[in-house]
Amino acid sequence: MVACVLIPRFELVVAAGGHEALAGRPVAIAPHRGGGQGAIGEASGAAQAFGVRSGMALGEALARCPDLELLPDDPMAVAAAWELTLRTLEGIGAGVEPQRPGLACFTLDGLRSLHGGGDELVLAAARRALDRPARLAAAPTRFCALAAASTSRPRRTPIIRGDARAHLAPLPVALLRSRERTAPLVATLERLGIATLGELAAMARGSLSDRFGPPGVEAHGLACGEDDPPRPRRVEMPLRESLELPEAAGGPALERALDVLIDRLLARPERRGRTLRAATLAARLIDGGSWSCNVTFREALGGRERMRLALAPRLQGLPSPARVLALAAERFGPPTGEQRALLDQTGEQRRAALREAIAQMRSAAGADAALRVHCLQLDSRVPERRVMLTPFES
Amino acid sequence: MSGPRSLSLPRGARVRAGPGGRPLAVDGQPVAHVRESWLVEDRWWTSQPLRRRYWELISERGRDIVVFHDLIDGRWFRQR
Repeated sequence: MVACVLIPRFELVVAAGGHEALAGRPVAIAPHRGGGQGAIGEASGAAQAFGVRSGMALGEALARCPDLELLPDDPMAVAAAWELTLRTLEGIGAGVEPQRPGLACFTLDGLRSLHGGGDELVLAAARRALDRPARLAAAPTRFCALAAASTSRPRRTPIIRGDARAHLAPLPVALLRSRERTAPLVATLERLGIATLGELAAMARGSLSDRFGPPGVEAHGLACGEDDPPRPRRVEMPLRESLELPEAAGGPALERALDVLIDRLLARPERRGRTLRAATLAARLIDGGSWSCNVTFREALGGRERMRLALAPRLQGLPSPARVLALAAERFGPPTGEQRALLDQTGEQRRAALREAIAQMRSAAGADAALRVHCLQLDSRVPERRVMLTPFES
Repeated sequence: MSGPRSLSLPRGARVRAGPGGRPLAVDGQPVAHVRESWLVEDRWWTSQPLRRRYWELISERGRDIVVFHDLIDGRWFRQR
């Protein structure tokens, strides 16, 4: 059995400073980092009553709801609040798979004996630990648990036992929007008249594969009650450094601050010599809100210079001057990084590789692509006699 | 490339010279300062002797320019 924890409008609640701030007010996040400059993010219930939806163009949202209040996106605060929520769930012994801020799942196997022997008791313990409005459900698969949580009434905790396919059959195909790969299929399926997951499951998988490719096969599998088990995240001590900037910094000052953060992060003893595979660069902005950017390195890095080369260009994406700059390690690599051969190539191999490279350059850029500088009389008083260019003969 | 070629070959320059052959402007750029001047005489024992008066100059725009006056044919050249 898999449990799903769904906290609706998690980003909006964090950005607004709590549920109470949203009560009865039409509020939305805008601009949203995931939806381009002109799109809004999560919208409050009052805003949704006017027809405002997440992903809608800002102009259309304001046309539908002229009193709509716009809140700046705050990914730093969202990440901190979500980390706290995940740790709370891990505190009851769950191996949690975070899917996005506000949505996580974990398997109930192994937790029953910890919390009195039943699925209900585990879910009750999770609800008590969260201590905030959340929708919880349990089902045989992740997708089925999410569907149950999405469609359940508040403060109810549905537990679906038995056939997941039967439970999913009457539910709308719009639930496929919860998966990144299957989300683009929803509009097409609805246009084709396939409204429920049961109708989707009744179709031949081969036909869906022909029409949609791998996402079609995945969607059919989900509708048939097939899904992968949760993959719990590895619990590690967060490694994060931040620097308060004395004034609205930009350009070289910001890059210097990044250097300091990289040095501090690499010097942390908790790193234990491990390399970094991914990091998050974040900033608290001077005009409110925050900005963040996840960077996955091409290979695990342990050196300052290469890390700086990968991270510094991302600073260009800052929407406004930063008040605080932060750098956090997201994933670690092996302690020594990738070992490169130092002397594994003999001289002849290296010369052959150089010949090949020169031949390719000449075929692409002409005969003058590779020339050799010959020193003739470096101490000559006549400059044109000092050096000469000759064809490069490898 | 047809064969070996020299680097730093002289290129013709328009130089307005003052008293003593001191350059006042190079290719229309006024000269602000003369850093150094030296004479090169070479191959005087051959049929193609070389006599050049070199000037290292700073233009008013702050560029470092090296020109020479060919003392055999009287023409001016830039060289790096």
